[in-house]
Amino acid sequence: MVKKTLEIYSVELSGTKDIDQTDKGDGKEKYRGLKNCFEPKKNHQKEELKKELDLDDHKLSIKELEKKYGTNIITGLSSTQAAELLAQNGPNALTPPKETPEIIKFLKQMVGGFSILLWIGAILCWIAYGIQYSMNKSSSLDNAYLGCVLALVVILTGIFAYYQEAKSTNIMATFNKMIPQQALVIRDSEKKTIPAEQLVVGDIVEIKGGDRIPADIRLLSVQGCKVDNSSLTGESEPQARSSEFTHDNALETKNIGFYSTTCLEGTATGMVINTGDRTIIGQIASLASGVGNEKTPIAIEIEHFVHIVGGVAISIGILFFIIAVSLKYHVLDSIIFLIGIIVANVPEGLLATVTVTLSLTAKRMAKKNCLVKNLEAVETLGSTSVICSDKTGTLTQNRMTVAHLWFDNQIFIADTSEDHSNQVFDQSSGTWASLSKIITLCNRAEFRPGQESVPIMKRVVVGDASETALLKFSEVILGDVMEIRKRNHKVAEIPFNSTNKFQLSIHKTDDPNDKRFLLVMKGAPERILEKCSTIMVNGQEQPLDKSTAEAFHTAYMELGGLGERVLGFCHLYLPADEFPESYSFDVDTMNFPTSNLCFVGLLSMIDPPRSTVPDAVTKCRSAGIKVIMVTGDHPITAKAIAKSVGIISANSETVEDIAKRLHIAVEQVNKRDAKAVVVTGTELKDMSPEQLDELLTNYSEIVFARTSPQQKLIIVEGCQRQNAVVAVTGDGVNDSPALKKADIGIAMGIAGSDAAKNAADMVLLDDNFASIVTGVEEGRLIFDNLKKTIAYTLTKNIAELCPFLIYIIVGLPLPIGTITILFIDLGTDIIPSIALAYEKAESDIMNRKPRHKKKDRLVNQQLAIYSYLHIGLMQAVGAFVVYFTVYAQEGFKPSILADLRVEWENGNVNDLEDSYGQQWTWYQRKYLEWTGYTAFFVGIMVQQIADVLIRKTRRNSIFQQGLFRNKVIWLGIASQIIIALILSYGLGSVTALNFTMLRPQYWFVAVPYAILIWVYDEVRKLFIRLYPGSWWDKNMYY
Amino acid sequence: MAALQEKKSCSQRMEEFQRYCWNPDTGQMLGRTLSRWVWISLYYVAFYVVMTAIFALCIYTLMCTIDPYTPDYQDQLKSPGVTLRPDVYGDKGLDISYNVSDNRTWVDLVHTLHTFLAGYSPESQQDSINCTSNEYFFQEKFMAPNHTKFSCKFTADMLQNCSGLVDPNFGFAEGRPCFVIKMNRIVKFLPSNSTAPRVDCAFLDQQKDAQPLQVEYFPPNGTFSLHYFPYYGSKAQPHYSNPLVAVKLLNVPRNTEVLIVCKILADHVTFDNPHDPYEGKVEFKLKIQQ
Repeated sequence: MVKKTLEIYSVELSGTKDIDQTDKGDGKEKYRGLKNCFEPKKNHQKEELKKELDLDDHKLSIKELEKKYGTNIITGLSSTQAAELLAQNGPNALTPPKETPEIIKFLKQMVGGFSILLWIGAILCWIAYGIQYSMNKSSSLDNAYLGCVLALVVILTGIFAYYQEAKSTNIMATFNKMIPQQALVIRDSEKKTIPAEQLVVGDIVEIKGGDRIPADIRLLSVQGCKVDNSSLTGESEPQARSSEFTHDNALETKNIGFYSTTCLEGTATGMVINTGDRTIIGQIASLASGVGNEKTPIAIEIEHFVHIVGGVAISIGILFFIIAVSLKYHVLDSIIFLIGIIVANVPEGLLATVTVTLSLTAKRMAKKNCLVKNLEAVETLGSTSVICSDKTGTLTQNRMTVAHLWFDNQIFIADTSEDHSNQVFDQSSGTWASLSKIITLCNRAEFRPGQESVPIMKRVVVGDASETALLKFSEVILGDVMEIRKRNHKVAEIPFNSTNKFQLSIHKTDDPNDKRFLLVMKGAPERILEKCSTIMVNGQEQPLDKSTAEAFHTAYMELGGLGERVLGFCHLYLPADEFPESYSFDVDTMNFPTSNLCFVGLLSMIDPPRSTVPDAVTKCRSAGIKVIMVTGDHPITAKAIAKSVGIISANSETVEDIAKRLHIAVEQVNKRDAKAVVVTGTELKDMSPEQLDELLTNYSEIVFARTSPQQKLIIVEGCQRQNAVVAVTGDGVNDSPALKKADIGIAMGIAGSDAAKNAADMVLLDDNFASIVTGVEEGRLIFDNLKKTIAYTLTKNIAELCPFLIYIIVGLPLPIGTITILFIDLGTDIIPSIALAYEKAESDIMNRKPRHKKKDRLVNQQLAIYSYLHIGLMQAVGAFVVYFTVYAQEGFKPSILADLRVEWENGNVNDLEDSYGQQWTWYQRKYLEWTGYTAFFVGIMVQQIADVLIRKTRRNSIFQQGLFRNKVIWLGIASQIIIALILSYGLGSVTALNFTMLRPQYWFVAVPYAILIWVYDEVRKLFIRLYPGSWWDKNMYY
Repeated sequence: MAALQEKKSCSQRMEEFQRYCWNPDTGQMLGRTLSRWVWISLYYVAFYVVMTAIFALCIYTLMCTIDPYTPDYQDQLKSPGVTLRPDVYGDKGLDISYNVSDNRTWVDLVHTLHTFLAGYSPESQQDSINCTSNEYFFQEKFMAPNHTKFSCKFTADMLQNCSGLVDPNFGFAEGRPCFVIKMNRIVKFLPSNSTAPRVDCAFLDQQKDAQPLQVEYFPPNGTFSLHYFPYYGSKAQPHYSNPLVAVKLLNVPRNTEVLIVCKILADHVTFDNPHDPYEGKVEFKLKIQQ
């Protein structure tokens, strides 16, 4: 059978030594990697792992194994034995990570940052009501209502957020629904197909190419079996398996197949030695739960915001408590004022707004293939400063593709884009005709039947990656390959073989006049060249002289240097006289020539970068995000891909590049000159954390190659030590600790394992790196827009608080009541503040550095001060003008209002005189007071329209931003006006709501103030733009 | 986010705070140098001065547009409120109770009435004129001195038996107490078309078989003479006093709490506003013990 098929594609020219080193090192390294990541964990886990790694099943002979597990390799277990063992050890499946009970998830939504603020507010309200009630049985219920509304807001918002999360979890769940895995097992001497879950220790299973290995198995007999251990070790090269014990370390020995790895080709029989969570993968998966979840940046920001709001509330509250006491208010009254002030500072609507805003963005991101599991992660992506990305599948297309051809002494470039649409190289040469024939014929890969309607690049192929690439390449250029093969009947074939390092087949030609057989061969270029004596140039055979050999080597080196797998192709027409049509070819005795062939050309393949990735990387670079490639692949390939996508930019060099350019030893190069570096896992393993820190700070372009997934965790931690917000992509089970540890873990939707998806905060539905970048953009935008939303929401807080303060100090009839305030916070203001989430970015947000975690706060001093002390105050003034207008026109001039509070509120005074000497009953006054509330409400509402408009931008003029680009804003403004109209004219007769029908002209009293606010803000922005970095900019830009 | 998780010790925090309060390296106090503080303060002073000026200007303009004699709107004052003297309030509205035999329980009530009626002494009414007509006293022009309008006199003696002049105890001592009913002033309010508004008092929950409340009204018939209307506002009529009606309740049962309502009967006075118990009527609880 085919053994080591793929080794033939080795690109190593000078570096064979290198490979050996890494290979040798690998065992220890992976082991260390594992250990490193286990060490800080709980002891018993470590112990368990040790036990597992000390597993000696691979050392035992088959007889000993049979004895140990009470089984027989011929007959297998008996059904009863299996049932017993199944009952004893449980099913062979990974225990899903402990699901947080739904109720806990729900409660969690209720007590996060903001919610706490609202809860405290609600409790304070109830306390205040309690005090009032104990003093006066008929006291107003306002405080009790307010408390209930606050509690209701938290609960409703919690339900909404919970629902959002549940929805994205549901989308996740659809991924998880995979077809139940089946296993072919020998039980009771019979081959049976059973669900893999029912496997027990001691079962004898058979696996074949394409299967996922159903449990940890000790291989008993193997036929050309190769496995892909990348999810366990990060090794992307297929690993050959055999039944011999080759290494002391269970992870290294060839006679163990690991659970969840894939058998790529061949067949094998093995005995199950570990099932479910006791498998190596199972243990690593359970580790992820040991890595704590970090607080998201937005959670920290919101906490910071709560601190600011809380600080402001409490200091204003205490200040006015002191004032109230010194104004000879009753202490209990003063306490109620204190509570009232604190509660007035709570932005009731903000929690709901932020939640909705985040979920809107999450929805937008989901459309762009970023599925966000945790709403808060939406923003985290925006603050990301380092992305550690996988190579295969994320940066690349995850399929081998022909990239270059060399024939006629020339290198041709093949199209490597996703659809191979235009192959533009010169196809007129006779050499190409021969080469294409070899490519077509010397290939065992085949399309699965029944895919005629599928685009060629998307068809499923049976065969290894390189042959698939060649098949698709020739199908695109030549058309129906299977038909060509049929016409050129294959008479003999030698498949790949690691000793030969070539593949050979002999065909009858489709030319009816030519009775010669055609021998075609492909393989490792140097081996192919050895077998050749002539070379084809422009369709003509020429003797292979030194200069052509030189040309071959140059081309080979060049292609190899690009990190590509190079194959050589040659052919020979067997002379018809020696090999008549009836000649019987025998591949064992090789009764045909395999030397003095005619060399035709070279062809190189690579897993090409996705076409969108270079742009995305450039965007990241301009956005100040460092992209680090972490791959299990070979350094040369990694570097080549890094270069082609721009992770290593065109003009930067590694130390090695400099050494090569200057022809000096690597040690002599000044390390500071190099911007880029390629670090292998072996080097990383020997680094101390300090050295890693130094590496991460000194180089801007870093590629980690030959790393194990465990080392990802080390890299992530290193980056986090630099205060970076780290995004990590991962797909394997082994990536889950790193995904958890990262600030934002990004799992691959297509290639990702369930464990990775569970550990991640986000799932990339298309596995495409470019999607991360669009995610970053959205994340940054939402941060900016949240700033605007919060600024908008905070502004009116002062306008709502001032009346209360004036009421306490000056003794005016209360200008605005609690219920009315609630109608602003939870009514008119909600839609406009959400509408700000739809605002487009002011400038290219991808040209900014990522925000500094500790310096660029969501709510900074400038934002709070500008909102509270500038715009908020103007709003308060404007609303007071409306209030005074209403009172004055109804008979109470401002002069008489001062100090009127006590009499005004006294229900027993029913002949209170106004400025005209008219006398008012209590209810008449109350009704006027409600008219005042409505007036104040309308005043704030009108000015909030100006506020939402000015908040559209923080730096640019509104006209630069476009007044009508964000249509939702206008929807918000319309909603504001309509809600206010309904409240005043529709519900004006419902006394409990404290709204009255306001005379139409009062709606326009605050308009000049709205215009003033807008002009003031335009001036502010103008000065910020004119004098960047000035005193004004520092104090006024939020 | 290892760095953010570093817990700072209390002393570190204090040190940081101290440094924030006074940073000797940069000469910053609370994050700003002294000159920066001056600048920012100046800015805020200027900002607030301007804002105050704008506000003052607005209020000034508002005041300029307002008629000094008549309010622009009387949305709430469609119908006048009615008040009662003496006014003692319990948990729910007016609640008057006293013991006939214990003069300490009613001396305060009597005192309230005396104080209230002091405003209706001839001396305090001397700036008003005597009116006799039973018509509305319309005054288009400011004929009175100091560019004002005339007010009609209402003196306490018009309340006769309840004036406190005949019986300084207002009938409290004998268990037939006097109460004074006052209608609130509303600028340019005309209570009725032609007949004078009249006070009518009765038990609130009059049982069919029970004896109806017997009331003696002063001035006779319990009317407010029309010449006290319309009211032109305190600027035009600085000496205006509300006309009063006194009611002497003759047959209040003893030792039980009764609810009494006094309504004003006039074309434009309503007393059926469910929200406002004092509009066009006044209700009070009365309990006379013996």
